[in-house]
Amino acid sequence: MSEAVRIVEKKPIPSGAIMLQGLPDVGLVGLIATSYIISELDLDEIAYVDSDLLPPIVVLHQGLPHAPLRIYGNEDLIAAISEVAVPVKALHPVMRKLVDWAESKKVKMIMSIGGLPVQNRQDIKEPKVFGAGSSEDSLKLLREKGLEILNEGFIVGPQALIMRYCTERKLTAIALLTQSFYNYPDPEASAVAIKKFGEITDHKIDVSDLLEKGEEIRLRARDIMRRTQSELTKMKKSQEYDLPLYV
Amino acid sequence: MYREKRKRSIFEIMSEYMENLEALADEMLESAAPEQPSWDTQSCCLEPLCNILVTADEVVVTADLPYAQPEKVEVEAVGENVIEISAKMRHNVRFDDFGISHRKGEFSSLRSRVPIPVPVETERMKISFKRGILEIHLPRKKGYIIKIE
Repeated sequence: MSEAVRIVEKKPIPSGAIMLQGLPDVGLVGLIATSYIISELDLDEIAYVDSDLLPPIVVLHQGLPHAPLRIYGNEDLIAAISEVAVPVKALHPVMRKLVDWAESKKVKMIMSIGGLPVQNRQDIKEPKVFGAGSSEDSLKLLREKGLEILNEGFIVGPQALIMRYCTERKLTAIALLTQSFYNYPDPEASAVAIKKFGEITDHKIDVSDLLEKGEEIRLRARDIMRRTQSELTKMKKSQEYDLPLYV
Repeated sequence: MYREKRKRSIFEIMSEYMENLEALADEMLESAAPEQPSWDTQSCCLEPLCNILVTADEVVVTADLPYAQPEKVEVEAVGENVIEISAKMRHNVRFDDFGISHRKGEFSSLRSRVPIPVPVETERMKISFKRGILEIHLPRKKGYIIKIE
């Protein structure tokens, strides 16, 4: 039987880089932020993810086909994005493979950018970024960068699996979760997350272009947001609102 | 085969049965409604993203209306429990703007019909438009109170 998920490398993969994950999730915060970082830092497509568990789709760019779930990178940063909503059934094997692959490339840390849905988002001018980490060291790093830590509660979705698999393998993982809309694309939240990403990884990224194109992004992202919302419902993302029980 | 079945507890069998039922229900739901594009070239409309929140007192409908002109956003009650949201955009958008050359069409407004899941008083709805998000508050219809004896 062939592997459920395989990563096809197109170019040499750097060793010891930081890996960024921005798969579609609430408000598409991670996807918009990671796509913008890829474009601003001019990262090359270095690999893609192939699996029978993913929908039979290719994305055409300038007439040429590309896999929807792709990995970009330079010598110190690797970034994974998906142009289609990842089906819930594929999420576990895909994230497990990504973490395995990251470990084999001696990745220093896996960072996830995501949204933290809030009901009154339209009343918040500057969304706040919260942090979650896989170890005491990662929590220390987040606190040093002025982030408030998510102490109790549930995380659901790609970043939850990254946390779990990284903890198993003793890899460092952090998640930057920015207050956002649940099912509306939120480029403003992405811009705030990018600034925090820049502070943590020493990258200077100007977000003015992203903010300027905010409305255009919201219009273009309607379809992927709609399909992502359907997957979020299936993965019971709303469980993040639940109050945990510790006895 | 028999031995294998004996090993599983009733809870495992029920859980598997429920999972299968849920998967079947999902499949049926997905196949029942044929998927439609989020645009209509005939009416020159794009369908905005909408959300419905039902609380004890009201139903809150929101819609993301990028490029909408605030003074040209309209909400109309059509029928008992359906509202129509429409908004003229500041400028027209074409398929070309998305880099798509194999389709032709131009869109000038955003429009969506939203069915409200519980009875509401549409004549008392309150509307606001902030940061590109339309927010409609619809008070729920009140029943009558039964006193505890």
